[in-house]
Amino acid sequence: MTNLDHGKFTRMTTTFHTLLALDVFILFFSGYGLMFNDELWWLVTLMGGSTGVTAVHRIAGLALVALIVFWVLMMLTTSTGRGNFREILMGPDDVAAAIQDFKFVLGMADERHPNARQFAGYKSDDVPLLSYIGKGVIYIFSIELTLLTISGLLIWSKTGVMQYFATKTAAMAFVVFHGLLGVIMLMGVMFHIFEHGFHPAFYPVEVKAFIPRKLIPEEHADTDHDSTGISQLTLAPSWGWATNVMGVLTVIGIVSVLVGSIFDEGYPVPRELVVGGGPTDLLLTVGINVGILVLFIGMALQMYGNLLRVRWQKQLEQEARATATTDGGQVNQPNDD
Amino acid sequence: MSQGVMSVGEDARIFPDVEACIDCGGCVVACKRTWDVPRDEQRISISTMLEGEEAAAGLNAHSAKALRQGQNPGETSVPMQCYHCENAPCVSVCPTDSLFKKENGFVEVRDDLCVGCQYCLSACPFGAPQFPDADEGAAKLFGTGGTMDKCTMCEERQDVGKGPACAEECATDALLVGTAGQIAEELDKRGSASFFNSEAMEIIFGEDAEAF
Repeated sequence: MTNLDHGKFTRMTTTFHTLLALDVFILFFSGYGLMFNDELWWLVTLMGGSTGVTAVHRIAGLALVALIVFWVLMMLTTSTGRGNFREILMGPDDVAAAIQDFKFVLGMADERHPNARQFAGYKSDDVPLLSYIGKGVIYIFSIELTLLTISGLLIWSKTGVMQYFATKTAAMAFVVFHGLLGVIMLMGVMFHIFEHGFHPAFYPVEVKAFIPRKLIPEEHADTDHDSTGISQLTLAPSWGWATNVMGVLTVIGIVSVLVGSIFDEGYPVPRELVVGGGPTDLLLTVGINVGILVLFIGMALQMYGNLLRVRWQKQLEQEARATATTDGGQVNQPNDD
Repeated sequence: MSQGVMSVGEDARIFPDVEACIDCGGCVVACKRTWDVPRDEQRISISTMLEGEEAAAGLNAHSAKALRQGQNPGETSVPMQCYHCENAPCVSVCPTDSLFKKENGFVEVRDDLCVGCQYCLSACPFGAPQFPDADEGAAKLFGTGGTMDKCTMCEERQDVGKGPACAEECATDALLVGTAGQIAEELDKRGSASFFNSEAMEIIFGEDAEAF
């Protein structure tokens, strides 16, 4: 394991992260096209109308099931997988870190617990690579995906559960459960995009999710730093305004989706409980489309992360070739877990 | 006894007098002929229960009374269609707002918004939503229902003062069309009653269910 804070994903994890992100983005675009079909009419049309959008959602749903099965099998059958699973288990330190964080926010503690310092530039000797917040993100994401998958499959194939499903109450329960979970997850993913794309140290994209750790050097050339060297990074000139704009868009997107799910009848809120309508619909239409824009930016950033990996690999190959030419030796391809 | 069609247009409701229904299929034919409904689709169908069975003593052709007494109602034919419910469950569960209750009381499906999710089929206690395209092309491949189709209660006919084709055609006036009060009064006049339980009546008529 490197002492740098950024090389913590294996090649398998980076590939899985990319595939999962792509699949989840497609599920969001089609799912929210269905849910907010009036505000996102253009998205529904782009995906082939009513039949197209449901087909896209279901194909992406099947792909999600395949990815989950693959991931579970990998966690069970590989030593790295089992090791990673052990790493994300919450320990007493994580509980202590959470409590200390609450105290810190309330002014009752002088500093944050080491298990909470994910982005502070510490060496891995000082703090664990995965904070309790990072573990929490994985937990929440996994639980949400599992519940959405189960409810989605039940909604799709009603044959087996028809006897329980054939009432208004049961239908509403499935609809509300799947819809509300989707809304919660959308908000989480928007925040995830903002958090990992617009952190001053990583802007515009946090490459640890895209470049496998074997391609990251174990040490910096200059190893005299007291920390990871994060303090030597220069802030991109565009970071300030880009982060402000993206922050505003993210907040508008999250609030609009949340409000929209309350204002918009049917899914997940039944007509009887609907509030709003009238001129507010225009604001919601703008807001919900802003939310979709945030998702599009997220998808673009994750594609950019992959582009950076490709460029980085080429750079490593060129450096290796240059070294080999100088030494007159063989060019070794980097291998990975 | 009045004709089946008592009043049409705004606030008109449709409701079966099951004790008058003789399962002749006239309503089904009238509907198909009027709306050019294909052979393997139907917006109204007659469900015959306890076929060939005799009711408890003295209760033949008195299904509602038999049910209230907890007795066997015997063979009973129920014309099933969209009753354009006051508290329409299909409207509540529709995720795309393609189903909605219009101000004049008709429950309408907007074809261009329907995604064939079939929640309405799960929610409707009367089996009204039909999915004629469910076995075709992309709908079959991806397990969606295609576009939902159901009885429109012949809104266009009612707009010009005519009754729904099924009710106009019914030889025994088993399909009643009118306000909730008119239907309740007519059933009472015939010595008949509602075949549905109070929960279903609350869905169909809302507060007006008290009239029955």
